[in-house]
Parts: sequence; structure tokens; C-alpha cells
Amino acid sequence: MKRAVFVAGGATFGFFLSRARATEFEAIVGMFRLTDLHLFGVIGVAIATAALGLALLRRTATHAWSGEPLRFARKPYHRAVFAGGVLFGIGWALSGACPGTALTQLGEGKAYALATVAGILVGTWAQRRVSALRASAQGA
Amino acid sequence: MDTNWPFWLAGLALGGFVPAFAWLTGKTLGISSGYSEMCSLAAPAGSERWKLWFALGLPLGGLASNALDGTVWAATSSTEMQATLGVSTVPQYALLALGGALIGYGARTAGGCTSGHSIVGIALGAKSSLIATLGFMLGGFATTWAVVQALGATP
Repeated sequence: MKRAVFVAGGATFGFFLSRARATEFEAIVGMFRLTDLHLFGVIGVAIATAALGLALLRRTATHAWSGEPLRFARKPYHRAVFAGGVLFGIGWALSGACPGTALTQLGEGKAYALATVAGILVGTWAQRRVSALRASAQGA
Repeated sequence: MDTNWPFWLAGLALGGFVPAFAWLTGKTLGISSGYSEMCSLAAPAGSERWKLWFALGLPLGGLASNALDGTVWAATSSTEMQATLGVSTVPQYALLALGGALIGYGARTAGGCTSGHSIVGIALGAKSSLIATLGFMLGGFATTWAVVQALGATP
């Protein structure tokens, strides 16, 4: 699959995130303060739509248009999933962004999102280091 | 100027994108792992490299959304955010970077973010995604209420 297809896919998803107001700090804070329920509605409808579409796709197709076999793997559960989720939630509230919206904010000209994106890169890198260290400690 | 979509339209678009993208490319979307790809640019491209290109497309969507409003690179200032939090520039950037670091660390620990877990994962009925999303919400609610209490901010 060509890179351009994935870039275009990302652009489309970013456009939707922007229209959904998911890139607005106020909308995120409003969601967590329960003063602006808009984003709960967005997420709820998105999950229902994705579930319906994926179920339909699984019944009607075995391969993607690109020729790739369709596999819908569920992410594995492990003990750290919940703790990682809570850490993510703290960051979500502090920065008013998630990984996708931080990059979309950059395109919207919100220069402050550079700090968020830089932070996410550092956090991603740190997690990889820590899990590598843990793995080698267990192996020793 | 308010060209934002109602919640149901935005939800249909974001949710509908998932099966459409899967049908076209055979991939289920995930964004936090795109940052992992950015962290391993020096390594040879593996099967996950498409996530890098997807992530790099996101800002273009934000740009297009602004352009449609006629506000190309209008640099939406961070003053509203500062007013909400009641902080000045430097602590604000520190909070953003700290928040970002927690997002990165947390997402990679949990194995996904709001796209891969909360939308795709729950739509697939994955237990891990439901638990991760409960964590996202709990962390977000607790933090917002704590920050609002601490700063006395009234958004």
C-alpha cells in the first residue's frame, strides 16, 4: 500500500477530529467536568458506528481491497492495562489532547501542541526503555 | 465561524472511518503506536511503518479543517487554555509536556489510546480495551476535578 494512502487516511481522520471539537481544550475539560457532554456523544456514536461497520465487514469480506487478509485482533489484556490507562487519562486531562488530537492541533496552528507532542514522544520512548530494562532484568 | 459538526455527525464520521479504512487497507487504526514508529526512525521499516505515515497525515486534516473556516494557520492562541487553567505561559507549557509524557507512557503501557482502544477496541468487544478506557476516564475525571479544585479555575 502506498504511503500517500496512509497520509490521506490520517488527514481525513484528523479533519474529522477537528470537526468533532476533539481538538479543543475546552471541550475536553467540559467533558470531564460534565458541563459539556458533546464529546461523550461523539465517542458513543463513533463506537456504535465502528462496531456495526466492523461486524458487517467481517461477515462480507475476508480480504481488504488492497488484497491483505482482514484480521481483527483484539488487544491482549495484561495487568498493567488499567494502570497505563489511568496514567493516560491524567495526561489527557492535563494537556487537553490525546495522541491523535495533539498532532491535529499542530495542523490547526495551535503551536502549544508542540509541547504536548514532544511530551508524548518522550513518554513513548521512556516506556520502551523501562520495559526493555524490565525484560532484561527478568531474563538475567 | 461555528462550522463544527453536531455530535452524531462527528461520531458517524469517526466511527465509519474505522471499517472504511480497514476495508481499503486491511489495517485497523491506531495512533499511539505511530509515536513508537517516530521513536524508531533509525530502525529498518517494519510492518507497522504505515502508522507513521498515518500520524503524519493528521496535521494536514487539522490544516484543512481550519482552511475551510478561512482561518489558515490562524494560530489559535493558547490564551483560552490559560484562562481556563488560570496559569501563565511557562507553567502551561510544562503542564502540556508533562501531560504528553503521561499520555505516551500510559498509552504504550495500556497498549493503545483513545483511537485504538476506546473506538476500535471496544467496537471489537475487547476486554482489555474496555478496561483501558475505564482507566482513561477515571484518570481524566480525577485530574480535572483535582486541578479545578487546586487552581480554583472556573471555566
